[in-house]
Parts: sequence; structure tokens; C-alpha cells
Amino acid sequence: MKYPLSWRLLDGLEAAAAVLWPARLRRLTAWGLLAPALVLVGVLVIGLGYMLEYSLHELDLATYRLTEAYSLTNYQTILDRPVYARVLGRTLLGAVLVTAIAVALAFPYAYALVRTRSAALRKALLVALFLPFFIGQVVRAYGWLIVLGREGLVNSALAGMGLPTVDLLFTYPAVIFGLVQYMLPFAILLLVPALAAIPEDMELASESLGARWISTFRHVVIPMAKPGLIGASVVVFTLTLTDFAMPEILGGGTSDFIASAIYDSFFQISNPGLGAALSMVLVTLGSLIVAGVFLVAGTGTLGVRGAK
Amino acid sequence: MTITDFAGRRTFLKLGAAGAGALAMPGILRAQDKPSEIIVRAWGGAWGDALKEGVADPFTAATGIPVRLDFTEDNEIKPKIWAAVDQGRIPPIHVNWDTTTNATISALRGVTVDLSDLSNLDGLLPLAKPTGLDGYPLVNTYAYVYVCAYRPEAFPDGAPDSWTVMLDPKFKGRVALYDDGIGFNPIAVIAGGGTFEDIPGNMEPGYEFYRKLKENAPLLGEDADFTTWFQNGEIDLACTISVNARAARQSGIDVEWTVPKEGCKVDTDGLWVPRGLPANEEHWAREFVNFALSREAQEKWCSLLGLPPVYPGIAPPADLVGDPSYPTKPEDFARLVSVPSPVLVENQPIWFAKFNEIFQG
Repeated sequence: MKYPLSWRLLDGLEAAAAVLWPARLRRLTAWGLLAPALVLVGVLVIGLGYMLEYSLHELDLATYRLTEAYSLTNYQTILDRPVYARVLGRTLLGAVLVTAIAVALAFPYAYALVRTRSAALRKALLVALFLPFFIGQVVRAYGWLIVLGREGLVNSALAGMGLPTVDLLFTYPAVIFGLVQYMLPFAILLLVPALAAIPEDMELASESLGARWISTFRHVVIPMAKPGLIGASVVVFTLTLTDFAMPEILGGGTSDFIASAIYDSFFQISNPGLGAALSMVLVTLGSLIVAGVFLVAGTGTLGVRGAK
Repeated sequence: MTITDFAGRRTFLKLGAAGAGALAMPGILRAQDKPSEIIVRAWGGAWGDALKEGVADPFTAATGIPVRLDFTEDNEIKPKIWAAVDQGRIPPIHVNWDTTTNATISALRGVTVDLSDLSNLDGLLPLAKPTGLDGYPLVNTYAYVYVCAYRPEAFPDGAPDSWTVMLDPKFKGRVALYDDGIGFNPIAVIAGGGTFEDIPGNMEPGYEFYRKLKENAPLLGEDADFTTWFQNGEIDLACTISVNARAARQSGIDVEWTVPKEGCKVDTDGLWVPRGLPANEEHWAREFVNFALSREAQEKWCSLLGLPPVYPGIAPPADLVGDPSYPTKPEDFARLVSVPSPVLVENQPIWFAKFNEIFQG
């Protein structure tokens, strides 16, 4: 009996795989597949180890090298200078605001994308969603400089209507605005799969049982969309917490986030010890907050099977 | 009979020297093998254009070695070079065009090559010699001034005569400084009621000036930001290097500059060669620096920048004759504020921390 070519090819591939990866190794397959990710995480952990090590050495201004002796001077400096607490507070507040606004704006967009019956509208929403990914963050920030500038689009329109111009740039709200615009597509992308996983029949069943739209939304859609909401919030929050470009460009130099302070320590004043200590504070704080979210919401909210 | 009896002592010594030279020749020749290119870290915009036209292109014409300008931020190339030297790797660039303060820090760290034997160092102005360091771990190439640049439209009564104009509520949100206070820290002390003698021991008048200035919501940025802000009408006044103001004016932006009564900070930039380069690349990197100090290169380069070179006797460009931002005579320098590099190196991190504390608070 003559088998089709594709079958023979597959048989050949299977035989080759059996030689390269014998049956006795099959129980290690999962680990093999995980290996690249584990290596990447391992490299990250090693890098963090180095950062921790650097953070425990003070800068010697006579040689611009870190001293040999271990000390907590850099952490003490962070505690002693109130500016770091203020910048960290501004960063945290920014991350919370951006997360809340971006997720709130992303939800109706994602819902419309999933539920619309119009193929044209879905395509338009998808194009609008992916288009920003082709434009880098820095370019987008510069775009806002043009749009929101003193002689930009918005102020030109205001002047055209006989209204006074306003200073929209180089303020904290301008930074938040830029970050929301940057984070919105991430939030939508993370919400879409969660909303798509909610059977439309559930909403119809709720409404057929007499629930108003708002009740259905509150008691059916929102709880079932929780994995997407948590995932989107965590991703947007952590990305905002570490963002550098938007505060730098739209903040006018006086609304820096903690990433700018880290950059300044490493590059502006050539103090890698202090930069590393600030990095460790940021990583620890971010990790604690995300861990807290998972502790309260449970990793099961992300749809992880078997998790609480 | 000895060989000296046979050939004479002098002849023997000559032959010996010639023989040693012949034996060493392959090494010397190897050291002079031309590299495929020389990479020079540079600032972009008008700065990079001037270096290309004034030094890089003529160097290539003279030696046949292409010069590539690397526009990595000066503060970002520094740790890369330091790491390369520490780890025994070849540094990413051949020549670093750097601020004297940053270059001094690299020299203190021991990553720079001594340039004392460059032939073109002879006869340069004393400004070329770095202060507080042995030899020439870097060589200063010109002086520059952090001027008070302004939009004439915003000053109908003429140029501002004092830096305190920055505190005028009329200019709220329309004043700009460098985001690390560079170029203004000593001036802030004087504008804040202190004296030059207060620096660095008592910077409080300067910090007080900054606290008042903060109420006026200044913008903090880099060279490129100032041009954009002037171009977009975002600011009326800035403390920036005269090169940026001149480049903005040359590109059609309505900007003038002045030296107010408190003075302006004058500083220098320099060139240095990192350690750890292969011998032939180091040789040609040094040749590049030497070429940059020649009369031909200094005249062209500094004229394009609009800055006074370290090569003596070069006339200023026509548009800068008599300009206070182009000091040539001792009385010109007397109007400017010069803080020695060692003082800057030691205190810059402290001033930066305080500057940050005030403006980020």
C-alpha cells in the first residue's frame, strides 16, 4: 500500500525526532520547551543580582569608582533626600491614574471590537488599535508636542475661535495624557481575549431573565472579564511605573518619573551605586504591588488553570 | 680586535641604531597601519556639522581614513567606555569629544591616554591644558559661553541686562535651563546675591535663586529642546550655549543673546582617546586629535561653531566680532565666570542633587 507523500514525510520527521529526542527523555519535554524562557529569566535574575551588588557600594569621587567596602550608604541617601520620595510618589500616582483611565477607556473599545456585527467597524477598530504599535513612543510624544504646543493644533483652534490659548504641555497632566494614549492599545489587547471568552448567550440569558443592560454589565460582564481587567491593569501599571520617555519629553524636565532619576544617577552623575539602589527600590516596590494584586485577586483571575 | 676598532665607535652606534630600527620597523609599521575608520563621538546638529566640515573631512582628505561620527549622548558613552576599559575590551569609539568636566572624570578614572607628545600642542593657548591633572589626559579645544538667549519680540526695550529677569512673573513657564543646572549653577549664586568667592563653599544664594525661579515654572531640557522651544514659541528666555543660539538664528529663528551684568559661565570642551585601543587605532586616534589642534582645523571648526579656539591668533567669524559670547581679550573673560574643572568635578554631583531636589520637589 502506497502512503501519500505528506504521511511519509511526517513519518520521517517522527523517526528523526525519536533519534534526537528519545522516548526516555519525553518526560523532560515540558522542561525543554520551558528552557529558553528559564534562561531568559535566569539572565534577568543574574542582572538583578549584579544590581543588588552595585547598590551596596558607595561612589568614590576621587576616582569615580565604587568602593570595595559594602555599605547601605546609597539606600541611606535615598531615604535622606526627600526628592526621591516625591519622585517615587509622583510615579506611583501616575501609574495608578494611567492604569485606571486606560483600562476604563479600553473596556468599551474592546467590548465593541468583540461584539460588533459589522465587519467594517471591526476592521476599523483593529487598524486603529494596531496603528500606534508601528509608531514608537518617542515619535508619539513628539507628535503631542506639535498638537498640544503653544502654537500647536489645539491652541490654533482655540485662537481661531477667539478663545485664549492655554499651556497644555510640560505639566504633570500632559505626562498622564501621553501615557494613557501610549498604554491604551496594551490595555485593549489584553482585554479583548477576556471579553471574547464571555459567551454572548450569557448576556442574552441575563437580559431575558429581566436584567437591565447595566445590571447585566455589572453582574455578568465585569466579573467574567476579571482576568482581562487584572491582566491589563498589571501590565499597564508596571509599564507606566518604569516609563522614561513620556515624562522626559512631555514633562518639561520638572515632572520626572523614577526612571529619570535612575538614568540621571547612572549617566548624568556617573554613580552606578545610587542608580542600582534606586532600581532595586523600584523593582521591589513594583513586585510587591503586583504580588499584592495577585494575593487579593488570585492568579486564577488570569485564567491560570488550577490556581486559586 | 673588537668590532668598534674595525668600524669606529660612532659608526658602530649608527649601525646599531639602524639595526635596532630595522628590527623594530615591523612593529612601528604595524602601529601605523591605517584602520578602516576612526569613530569620533560627537554632539549632533550644528556641533556635528562643524566637526565634520572643520576636522573630520579634512582629516580624511589628508590621511585617507574615513571618520564616522557617533552621536551617542556624551553621558551615555562614558559608562560604555569605562566598562570596556575595565573589562579589557576594545572601546566603542576612538576619540571622545567631551565636556572638560566629563573628560576630567574619565581621566580621574584612568581610562584616557596621555596626549602630552602631540606635536601640535606647542604654542597653544594655556586654555588647552587641563587643570588639576598631570600631563594631557585630554586636551581642551575651545572655550564656550552659556549665554542668555532671548526672543527679541518678548523684550521690546532691548536685551535683558540681568539674569533676575527670569524671576519676572511675566515670563512664567517661558524660561528654560539645562536639566542638570549645568552652565547656570555659579551664575545662580551671583544672581541670587552671592559672589564668585562663595563658590563652592556657600551655594545657598544660588539655591535660593532656584527656589524663586521654580515659582516661575521654568522648562528644563537639553540643547535640542531649546531650539525646538524657541522655534515653537514655547519660551522667551534660556540659558544655553551660544552655539545653539547662533545655530537657531542661522536657521531663521528669531533669537538674540547677551551676557547680563552678573556674567555668564565660560567653559571648555576637549578631545580624549580611550585606553585599550589596538596600537594602530590608538596611533591614528591621536593623529586625529593632533590634526584637530592644527591651525587649519581650529580655524574652520571653531569658526563654524562660533567659538574661540585654543590656537592663538585666529580671528572671530564676522558675525561674532565684538560679541561678548566670543571672548578674546582678558577684559572679555573678566565679564565671564570660570569655575576650575577640579571644583566642577568635585561639586557637580552635589549641585545636581540640590538642583533636582528644588525643581523635582
